Amino acid sequence: MTQQQQPATTGPGTTIPAPSVRQLTFQWAGGPAIPVLSVVIALLLGAVFVLLSGNDPVAAYAALVQGAFGTPYDLTETLVAAIPLVLTGLAVAIAFRTGLFNIGAQGQLLVGALAAGWAGAQFASWPGIVLMPTVIVFGVAGGAFYGGIVGFLKAVRGVNEVITTIMLNYTIVFVMHWLLQAGPMSAPNALGTPASTPIGAGARLPVIIPNELVLFSRLHAGIILAALAVVVFWFVLWRTPLGYRLRAVGLGAHAAAQAGIDPARHMVLVMAIAGGFAGLGGMIEVSGIFGRVYDGFSSSYGFDAIAVALLGKNSPLGIVFAALLFGAFVHGGAYMQSHAGISSNLVAIIQAFVLFVIAAEALVRSLTRRRGARKPVEAIA
Amino acid sequence: MTLEMLIGASVFAATLRLAAPIALAALGGVTTERSGVTNIALEGSMLVGCFFGVVAADRAHNVWIGLAIAILAGVLLAGLHAYAAIALRADQIVSGMALNILALGLTTYLDYQMYGTTGTPADLPVLPDVQLGFLKGVPYVGDAIGSQNLMVWTMGVLVVLLQLSLFRTVAGLRLRAVGEHPRAAETVGIDVRRIRYAAVLASGALAALGGAYLSLGVAHSFTDGMTGGRGFIGLAAMIFGRWTPVGALAASLIFGYGNALSTSLQGASIGDVKVPVQLLGTLPYILTILAVAGFVGRSRPPAADGLPYETEGHA
Repeated sequence: MTQQQQPATTGPGTTIPAPSVRQLTFQWAGGPAIPVLSVVIALLLGAVFVLLSGNDPVAAYAALVQGAFGTPYDLTETLVAAIPLVLTGLAVAIAFRTGLFNIGAQGQLLVGALAAGWAGAQFASWPGIVLMPTVIVFGVAGGAFYGGIVGFLKAVRGVNEVITTIMLNYTIVFVMHWLLQAGPMSAPNALGTPASTPIGAGARLPVIIPNELVLFSRLHAGIILAALAVVVFWFVLWRTPLGYRLRAVGLGAHAAAQAGIDPARHMVLVMAIAGGFAGLGGMIEVSGIFGRVYDGFSSSYGFDAIAVALLGKNSPLGIVFAALLFGAFVHGGAYMQSHAGISSNLVAIIQAFVLFVIAAEALVRSLTRRRGARKPVEAIA
Repeated sequence: MTLEMLIGASVFAATLRLAAPIALAALGGVTTERSGVTNIALEGSMLVGCFFGVVAADRAHNVWIGLAIAILAGVLLAGLHAYAAIALRADQIVSGMALNILALGLTTYLDYQMYGTTGTPADLPVLPDVQLGFLKGVPYVGDAIGSQNLMVWTMGVLVVLLQLSLFRTVAGLRLRAVGEHPRAAETVGIDVRRIRYAAVLASGALAALGGAYLSLGVAHSFTDGMTGGRGFIGLAAMIFGRWTPVGALAASLIFGYGNALSTSLQGASIGDVKVPVQLLGTLPYILTILAVAGFVGRSRPPAADGLPYETEGHA
C-alpha cells in the first residue's frame, strides 16, 4: 500500500453532495428490493426443502411466526435474540464499509464477553454507577483489541483478514476452554458447564419490561445499548471526517491514499471499532442474560452476523431489520421444533439460502431483469 | 509428565489418526486454491460427507456405498460453490460461508428427522483398519502404524499422487497456471473454467473423504457438527504447508500431534503446574497466523486465488 502524502485541498464532506434523508436512513444500494427478494427466495427454497423431507411447509412457517411473535413474551424474546445480532452485524458492516471482510465478529464477541465477565466479577462490589461503565469499557476494549490484531496484521504484514479472523475465532474458543475449565477465570459451580464467577449486581443490565406488562420477560437494557450503537455506527460513518475517510478507503484504497488518507492506519482503526461493536455484544450477553461467562455460550452469532450485514446491505436500518428477522428465526425456530416437530435447524438452512442468494447476486439481478443497472458489489470486493 | 506421554507409540498412532482428516481437507484446499478458487466450504463438504456416508452405509449395509455417497455429497456441495464462484462470479467467501451454514443446518435437520434423539444405529458398517501382521511385535513401529485405518493409508497415497501430478504433469502445470495467471493460461488455449470446475469438485471429494473417515472410520456414528472446524484447520494446514500437498501433510501432522498431546497430557503436570492442555488447541491457528504474517517462513497464496475470472470478450 503506497502512501503519498498530499495536502488535502478540500475538507472531508465538501466534495460530495449532501446525501438525501432517504439515503442516510437506508444507505441501501438499489433499495430494499434485492434483500427482500433474497429472503423470499430463501423462504421458498426452505419450503421446498420441508416438503421434500415429508413435512408441511405451511405448518412449519405458521409455527415459526407463532413462535416468534405469537405472544408479547415471544415478541420480547425475539428482541432479546436480535440484540447480539445487531451488534455483530454492525461489526461486520463497518469493516465492509472500509473494504474489509470481518469474519471474526464471533471471536471478538467472545473476547468482549470474557473481558466484561472478568471485570464484572473482579470488581463485583463496586456500585453499579461505576461498575456498569467499567464493564462496558472492558467489553468494548476486549473486542477492539481482538479486532485490532486483525487490522494490524493486515496493515503491517499484508495478511488477508479472512484468514486471520477465521484463525482467531478458533483460537479464542480454546483460550476460553482453558480460562473457564482450568485457568484463572474458572469458578466452581454446579451447572455442568464450565463457567466464570458471577458478575456483581451492579454489572447486570436490568430487565426493562415490568412483570405487570410481560411476565418473566428477559428483555434487558442491552437493547438501549444496541440502539445507541446503531446511532453511533451511522453517526461515525456519515457524520464524521473519520467515517468519510473509512468509506473512502472502502471505495478505493489507492484513490484514498492519493487523497492523503492512510489506508493502513484506517484498516487498524476500523477493525478495532468493529471489534468494539462485537465486544459490546458479548458484554451485553453476559450482563443482560447470563450474569457470567459460560464456556461456549455463543456458537453462531458471529456467523449469523455476516448474513445480517449482507442482508442489511451494511446500512444502519437494514442491519436492524435483518437482525430482527434472524432474531425471529432463532426464537421462533425453537417453538417450531417443539410444536410442529420440525427441527429448528430449518432456520439455519433458510439462513444459508439467504446468504447464498445474496452471494449469487447476479442471479437475483437477472431474475429482476435489471441487468443494465448492474452495480459492482462495492462492499464485498 | 513422562516421555511416553510426549513421544510414545500411542501418541504417534493418535497423531496419524488425527492428522488424516485434516490432511485430506488440506489436500482439497491445495487443489482448489491452486486453481484460483478459494473454497472455505471444505468444512461443509466434510460434514455432508460425514452424514450422508453414514446414512448410505446404514441403508445399504455396505460401507463402500457409504463412502461413495459421502464423496458424492461432498462433490455436490462443492459443485454449488463452483457454480457460484465460477459461473456467477459470486463472492467466494460469502458463498463458502453460506454453504457451511447450509451443510450444518441440513445435516442437523436431517439427523433430527431421521434418527431423532436415538442417534445413528450401532450396527453401522465401518471403514476397516489395515492390520499389518508382519509388524506385530516390532517395537514402536508395530504399535504406531500396525493397525491404522484404511483412510490413513489412502491419505498418504493421495499426498504422493497429488504432489507428483501437481508438479510433474501437464495437467498439474495447467492447474497451477490457471491459479497464477488465468488470462495467460487462456491465451495458450487452456480452458480456465473447466479446470477450475474440476479442481473445486475434486476439493469437495477430498474433504468428504476426510469426513467419511471421521464418521465411518473413527466415530462409527454421526453427531451434529462433528467436523468441529477440521475443514478450517485443513485450510490452515494448506496455508502453513505453503499450498503444496507434502507441506500440507507436514502441517497436518504438526497439528495432529498437538491434538494428540492435548489428550495424552490430560491431567499431567510439570512440577506443581498443570499442563494447560486446552491451550494446545490454539497451536494450528497461531502457527498459521505467524506463517501468513511471515514470522515463520513466508506463505504466499497463488496469485489469482479467490479472484473471479471473466473470459475475454465477456465484459
